[in-house]
Order: sequence, then C-alpha cells, then structure tokens
Amino acid sequence: MASKTAAAKDIITLHGSAAIVSEFFCYAANSILYNRAVYPEESFVKVKKYGLPMLLTQDESVKSFLSNLSSQISEWLEAGKLQRVVLVIMSKATGEVLERWNFRIETDSQVVDKGVSREKSDKEIMREIQAIMRQVASSITYLPCLDEPCVFDVLAYTDTDVAVPFTWVESDPKLIANPQMVKLHGFDTKIHKVDTLVSYKNDEWDEEE
Amino acid sequence: MAETKVEISDPETEFFASKKETGHEWELFKENVRPLKRGRNVRLLNHALKSHSDHQKLIEDIDEYDGDDPLSPWIKCVQWVQEAFPPGGECSGLLVIYEQCVRKFWHSERYKDDLRYLKIWLEYAEHCADAEVIYKFLEVNDIGKTHALYYIDYALHMEFKGKVKSANEIFNLGISRNAKPVEKLNDGYKKFMVRTMRRSKTVDDQEPKENDLPSRSFGTILSRGDNNNNNTGRQALGQQAKKTKLNHSSKAPLAVYKDNTTGDQTEMDKSKPEFGSWLMLGGRAERNKENNALPGKWAAFKVPQKPIVRTAAASTSSFEVFIDEEECTDEGVEKKKSETISPSSSNVLPLNDGREIKKETELLRQNPLRHFPPNSYLR
Repeated sequence: MASKTAAAKDIITLHGSAAIVSEFFCYAANSILYNRAVYPEESFVKVKKYGLPMLLTQDESVKSFLSNLSSQISEWLEAGKLQRVVLVIMSKATGEVLERWNFRIETDSQVVDKGVSREKSDKEIMREIQAIMRQVASSITYLPCLDEPCVFDVLAYTDTDVAVPFTWVESDPKLIANPQMVKLHGFDTKIHKVDTLVSYKNDEWDEEE
Repeated sequence: MAETKVEISDPETEFFASKKETGHEWELFKENVRPLKRGRNVRLLNHALKSHSDHQKLIEDIDEYDGDDPLSPWIKCVQWVQEAFPPGGECSGLLVIYEQCVRKFWHSERYKDDLRYLKIWLEYAEHCADAEVIYKFLEVNDIGKTHALYYIDYALHMEFKGKVKSANEIFNLGISRNAKPVEKLNDGYKKFMVRTMRRSKTVDDQEPKENDLPSRSFGTILSRGDNNNNNTGRQALGQQAKKTKLNHSSKAPLAVYKDNTTGDQTEMDKSKPEFGSWLMLGGRAERNKENNALPGKWAAFKVPQKPIVRTAAASTSSFEVFIDEEECTDEGVEKKKSETISPSSSNVLPLNDGREIKKETELLRQNPLRHFPPNSYLR
C-alpha cells in the first residue's frame, strides 16, 4: 500500500485508508474495553502496535464480533458511506448508557468518486493514532468509575442509501442525557479524517449507586 | 450525495461541529490528577491544572531569570499567588513566598530604596502577629527609608498598639528625612494628629478596641484604677477609665503620652495587655530566647532549610511512581522538567506539600525573621 516517494510521503489509496481506519477502530475498541474494564484484564494480551503496547482481547466472541465489525466498516469506508462509529458502554443490569466513544468520519468524496490517491507519511498517521491511544488510556483522570458489570455495543451511522447488513439492526442512537463531553485528538489519512470524542454521564452526588 | 447524508442532531454532533476544543492539560498533567469515582468535569480540571502549571512556570522563571532586575520575577510570582488565593490563608503559601523574597534581597544595596521591595516587606508585616519587629528590621537595615509608605505603615501600627508617642516620632522622622511622596506623609500625619486630639478630648473610642483583658503590670502601679490610667496610651483603657473614674480623664491629655514617663519603653510593652497578647507574648518570648541564646543559634539556622528541601525530594519520587514504562520518551521530558525544578527550588516555595506550607506559614507569622541572623535586627 505504501511506497516511498522522494518527499518521504507515502501514497495512500482508498483501500489502504479504509484499512488503516478500520484497524484503528479495532485497536481503539480493544483499548477502551480494557481500560474501562468492560472485560477482565486477564482476558487481554499485549501486542506492539503504533509504537505502543496495545491490548487485544482473547475472548473469542468479542474477537469475532470486532473482526466482523472491522470488515464491515472497511467496506463502508471504501464506499465513502460511513459517517460515524460509536462504541457505547451500558450498564449490564439496567441497560443505561454510561459512556459513548464517538468517532466521526469525514471522507474525501473526490477520492471515492474518481479513484485518485493521496499522499501522507505513514509515520505521521501512526503518530496521530498513537496520540489518540494515549489519551484513551489516560482518560481515567476524568471518567467516572464504572464499578458495575457493563456491556458494550457498536453503532454505525451511514448514508441512508446503505442497506442494513444482515447482522446489524437499526437502532436508536443511545444518547446520554446532558453528557459531559471531551474532545480527543483525531487523525487524518487525507482520505478519511477521523475525530474522536468521549461523552459520559454527569455523575450526580445524589444519585443512587 | 448530499441527500443521503443523515442530519444528526445531538449534543455530540454539535460538539464535534463546534470549533470548541477541549484543553489537553488533563493529559499533560495526568500524574497530578487523582481519579474520582464520580468522574470529573474536564473543563474545571483543565483550568485547575493550568493554574498549577502557571504557578510552576513562575517559580521556574525566578530560578532561570537572567536579566538585571532579579526582583521582578519574584514580584510576578507574589502577584500570582495573591490573585490565585484572594483570601490568602495558610495554604496559599503567601507568607512563605514573602519571606523568601525579602530574605533573598535584604543585603542588596540595589533594592534598599526600591518601592516594590519595600511593599513586599510591608505586606509581609501586615500578615504577621507582631509587625513591629519587621519595621525595626527595616530601620536597622536602611530599607525603604526614603518612602513615606514605610513611615505611615509603621506609625499606624504603633498607633494601633497604643504607642502614640512612638507613632508621632516615626512620622516626624519620616518628615525630617523628606520621605516621598511628601504630601502623602504630611496628610497621614495630619490625620493621625486629628485622631490623637480627638482621643484625648473625648474618652469615647473612635475605633473599637478589644481590650477586656485585665491589665498586667509588672510592679509599676498599685491600684486598679491607677493601672488603667498609667497604662493608657491605649484607647480601650481610656474607655475603662471613663467608666470607673471620670476624674482620671482630666489627666487624659497627658495620659496619652504617659508611656514615655514611666521610663523604659520596652518594659511598658511587656506590661501592657494588647490585642492578641497571649499570642504575641509567646512570640516575644521566643525572640527573647534567641537574644539570650545567641552563641548557640548559628548551628540551628541550618535546620529551617531542611523541610523545604525534603519536600522537593519527596515530590520527585512521587513523579517517578506514575511514569508509564512505555511512555518513557515523552515522560522523560516531563520528568526531567520536574527534576530540574526540585534541586533549585531549595531557593523557592515548595508547592506540593500543603502541610509544610501551613506549618511554615504559622511559624513565620509568629516569628517573621526566624531565618535571619539575629544580629541583623538587633542593635
């Protein structure tokens, strides 16, 4: 996918960019599940990615869920039809949405329509992703403690002319009322621009639990 | 294409769309943040961390300053602390920084007449249990003697203590030295005279003084009524005199200056109950101890430095605990920063230990010159 040019930039194709973004999402999801303790620590294994030690789940069902997700996202990205991917964390007991990790995607439609490619240093993209991953890990400084069993789900916002794939269902947006929101770093492949935001419940003193 | 785009309208979309950025202080200073179970408001967190880092920066500026006015970064730092802690208070570190600043430059010829430097001293004095020792220090060390402000503050303080005669002398001294601004000094003196006259004519207090403490006399006077009278120079007792024996009030015009006629000024000091006297007597006793123990004290002067250095060392080790192994490269830079701050901060305010600050503040309040060699303020 990448070939070095004289200017030390790499060529990015639509296919390549889609692969970068969907891979990013996969690792980000894993990191969130690990850092927010949605699954126990022991069920993760450390690998090297983006110049960082990243955690990947060993849980087979989560693994296959994320891998299906990843390929679907990649497909949507190549078609330029994906606008938003949101990882939602909910209370297992009540189904209440506690946290949302929101990734907004902007696609360069020219690339989709005309099949051109762009140029950007792979290294720089990696650095940008690294910065996001670091922030995800550090977000415990302000996120409320999730001290009950939680489950997660992934929502995708696509263009309306996209047929709903078999394994997906239409859903309500699962928003948090009056959320606290924090914008994180984003990254840009020059074909797909990804912005990140985490929103969480305002924890009130007088709430139960 | 546009028709197929869904209009998403929710707080998150709006937030994305808005150019609002979330500051990144929370990430930059994450080692300084204790996670709360209920989470934190990131805006407030960023603000607090930024404020903390501003403070750090000002302290670094003091250490790194390379220009020809080394007092200026200190002034900026003092100003910051004053603004960050409007009520002041023990944990603000205000007293500690005043003290470090004045001690840094007290030898300096250059700042002897510097108004900013004088103001630091005067503000320091205002916060101490007994400012007189500071005013005396300034006099002995020729600091601020060309400024009217010095005489005004000093005289006001003595007046408050009831030492009206001294106050009068101080004003006169300032005037004779032509302290500037001249009009301000004259004006202050005039007002003082008016107050004094008023006091001697009517025995009613203009200013409320709380002095229900029993008069203490160390063998000067016999009867209680006479005590009251001889111990005047302070207005509350003037009031007592009025209550008990009105005929004493006829002596009042002279009584105002009576503190002089009973001889040694310092002896009278001890015998007068004053505002917060128990506190001040303690301080005075402590100072007197130093007077007596003069030869032995030099060794002890090393001791006060230790609490400051120790704290700095402690803060370095607490930084180490929080460094992630994989983030060595970035954190290394931050860590280095904190390391360069700590050794040189033996000079400057330790930030991290509120308890140390509180302790030192209280010690300074009682004995503002505790880090100074005793011969610097005694004559």
